[in-house]
Amino acid sequence: MNYMPGTASLIEDIDKKHLVLLRDGRTLIGYLRSIDQFANLVLHQTVERIHVGKKYGDIPRGIFVVRGENVVLLGEIDLEKESDTPLQQVSIEEILEEQRVEQQTKQEAEKLKVQALKERGLSIPRADTLDEY
Amino acid sequence: MFRYESLEDCPLDEDDDAFQALGEEDEDIDQFNDDTFGAGAVDDDWQEAHERLAELEEKPVAAVEQTGNGSTDEMDLLGDHEENLAERLSKMVIDNELEDPAIMRALQTRPVVQPGGLNSSIWDGSAVLRRIRGPLLAQEMPTVSVLEYALPQRPPQGPEEERDLSERALPRRSTSPIIGSPPVRAVPIGTPPKQMAVPNFNQQILCPKPVHVRAPMQQRYPAPYGERMSPNQLCGVTNSSLLGHPFPPSVTPVLSPIQRAQLLGGAQPGRMSPSQFARLSGFVNSPLASMNPKLLQGSVRQLIPPAPGFRAFFGAPPPATPPPAQQHPSCPGPHLQNLRPQSQMFRPDTTHLHPQHRRLLHQRQQQNRNQHRTINGAAGDRGGHRSNHQEQLRKDPYANLMLQREKDWVSKIQMMQLQSTDPYLDDFYYQNYFEKLEKLSAAEEVHGDGPKKERTKLITPQVAKLEHAYKPVQFEGSLGKLTVSSVNNPRKMIDAVITSRSEDDETKEKQVRDKRRKTLVTIEKTYSLLLDVEDYERRYLLSLEEERKALMEERKQKICDMYDNLRGKLPGQERPSDDHFMQIMCIRKGKRMVARILPFLSKEQAADILMATARNLPFLIKKDAQDEVLPCLLSPFSLLLYHLPSMTVTSLLQQLMNLPQSATAPAPANPHLTAVLQNKFGLSLLYLVLSRGEELQSSDTSTELMQDNQWTELMFMATRELLRIPQATLAKPVSTPANLISLFSRYVDRQKLNLLETKLQLVQGIR
Repeated sequence: MNYMPGTASLIEDIDKKHLVLLRDGRTLIGYLRSIDQFANLVLHQTVERIHVGKKYGDIPRGIFVVRGENVVLLGEIDLEKESDTPLQQVSIEEILEEQRVEQQTKQEAEKLKVQALKERGLSIPRADTLDEY
Repeated sequence: MFRYESLEDCPLDEDDDAFQALGEEDEDIDQFNDDTFGAGAVDDDWQEAHERLAELEEKPVAAVEQTGNGSTDEMDLLGDHEENLAERLSKMVIDNELEDPAIMRALQTRPVVQPGGLNSSIWDGSAVLRRIRGPLLAQEMPTVSVLEYALPQRPPQGPEEERDLSERALPRRSTSPIIGSPPVRAVPIGTPPKQMAVPNFNQQILCPKPVHVRAPMQQRYPAPYGERMSPNQLCGVTNSSLLGHPFPPSVTPVLSPIQRAQLLGGAQPGRMSPSQFARLSGFVNSPLASMNPKLLQGSVRQLIPPAPGFRAFFGAPPPATPPPAQQHPSCPGPHLQNLRPQSQMFRPDTTHLHPQHRRLLHQRQQQNRNQHRTINGAAGDRGGHRSNHQEQLRKDPYANLMLQREKDWVSKIQMMQLQSTDPYLDDFYYQNYFEKLEKLSAAEEVHGDGPKKERTKLITPQVAKLEHAYKPVQFEGSLGKLTVSSVNNPRKMIDAVITSRSEDDETKEKQVRDKRRKTLVTIEKTYSLLLDVEDYERRYLLSLEEERKALMEERKQKICDMYDNLRGKLPGQERPSDDHFMQIMCIRKGKRMVARILPFLSKEQAADILMATARNLPFLIKKDAQDEVLPCLLSPFSLLLYHLPSMTVTSLLQQLMNLPQSATAPAPANPHLTAVLQNKFGLSLLYLVLSRGEELQSSDTSTELMQDNQWTELMFMATRELLRIPQATLAKPVSTPANLISLFSRYVDRQKLNLLETKLQLVQGIR
């Protein structure tokens, strides 16, 4: 198995279905149409997939041009195995609602944690400040 | 937007200037790219790529455009135009190389709808040519065929019209917007992007009400000049330099999306004759038609652009009718800018252009022609590839949007980063890492354990030896230098003179420093010599035949320098003192360095080092107590020992025991030897020396050792010392040579031999 240096190794993956994880945590699934030396990507027939627990929902996004620096992870999707997933697809509205609920619970848990730490005289940097690069 | 009502109103000069500036800027950018990425990296024309992509969008435009053009001749409205359109599209299938025999047959028997139509002849021409001459020619053919086939059927016109021939042929297919852009080159025949046009049409026919009509025209076809030119300017540009006559004043340039939707979706399908529909249904059955409905929906949008063209003809015919041939280009609208470059290609006469502009155009065309050739080649290559992935392509009409050339370009750029004339220098750690990996996998193969692990390997460019001797241009008698700077030839700002300080300065400075620092400096200096020497092997392999001798000389000189550095030998001195060497050997780095240098030294030089080491061993041992790196010297020493003659071995043993040459009186306890025996390195070295002695003895070539009294004497002393020393204090040697027992058996009796055996654990050494 030989591979090309840098983003040239992505050339083999062109026109295949890919999952791309972005730096802001979004997950895109689409056909990789074009790349360049910066790993800027052009995704076609893109859907943004939101996972919450065992459920997921797809939001159609069309053509997506991703600036290379925002790509965290990129991998081909096996079209044959794509369908046999234990996850359950739900509608966009439902998944958005689920996501909202999840984020809310997360926030509340975080708040509790911070408060508990505060009572003990400790403080941790807020998670959202850490996220900002 | 369309303000200019007559030629006089058009800011001709301005536009020409603008064009020129743009063109030049473009050239500059190409130049910059060449400089930055190296020549050839970006010889791929982005415009071409753009053109190709634009073609995807424009395909339907082109088709409708033509029908529009054809119908102008007869001033017919949608009826004939419909038929025409169907025919055009069926011909496009040929272009797409749909090798469905049924379709082909249908095409051959198709009725000629508009015999006199200019554009139908164009299409016939290219289609015929394509069939006759094969796909390779077809790439370049359109240009020719348009002229050939269009000319004879043109209605006679004045000389003014003659010049405009190219403009009339122009709207056949639109391409990239920049002046002097690539010629109208069909995308290599059969490439998927082209096939898109067919599904589009399908959609248009089969879906009466396109839903996805969103953006207005201006947004769909944004001016490629973006900020640089206002739409007004653009209009002026197209108007003046291309059309050569004013827009008809009554033209409505832009339709509302709904209007367009009605025009396209509502009006057209209804007017199709059943036979045409049948022919079209051929598409539907074709593999291309089995497309994702989503795609189709999305692509409906691409059908909208032609609408303004219709409008121009059907909606508002100009009151003062100009000759029909000229009428067509008068359809304005932002998409016109896309048509312009085509005119460059078709224009037989460019006299109305600014000379500079013309020159530029010419250059471009030449370039493009060259590119064509390469593209044809590339397309040929892709042919085979395509058949492999045909299955996949059928499913995916958008595949291969990124051309092979573009892929090559990316890999070229990535490869270029790894290109180096001397990978050992540029990428030392990577090279070493991979050498190690290769050794490891080689070892694994030898052992044959487990399934062979397939290692991924980076493809690196072949090492290109680049000779860069750039001499800036210099005019006679001038002081300044004319330089073109690039990556390979960075601009020389000053002539820096390297002034090396004289040796005297350095020695003076050194006297100030303490001795240890001096030694450290010596080590560093010697180390760089050593690295140089180690590199010579590689350089030797890379060098040319005639250079090799000089290289060898250089290497020899450097090795001598190293030795002198080690021994601290000054030119006039006969025999250097050990002091300098000992200083070096007190430093860990120095010890390691000596181990590395030894293999390069000549036998005599190395023997001298070995002797010096043996002479001062107790001192060294004491100094080595913390580092314990002395054993690293063992392997070069043992290698050396096996090349030494018996005389040297004897004197070496003597040095190890620290006896004067003539000493015969055995000291009751030899502190020197005791120290040696109590150290791992010392004992190992002694063993090595003894083992070598035994080897010399047993080989019949050198019996002199047997007769050598001195050796015998030394042996007696050594065995006595070995017997005397308590086993607890005896160090554990790195290795025990196997032939020691036979050696000792020559000098001690049976009982003592047994004792020695157990004490030195020689039996263990035999295993």
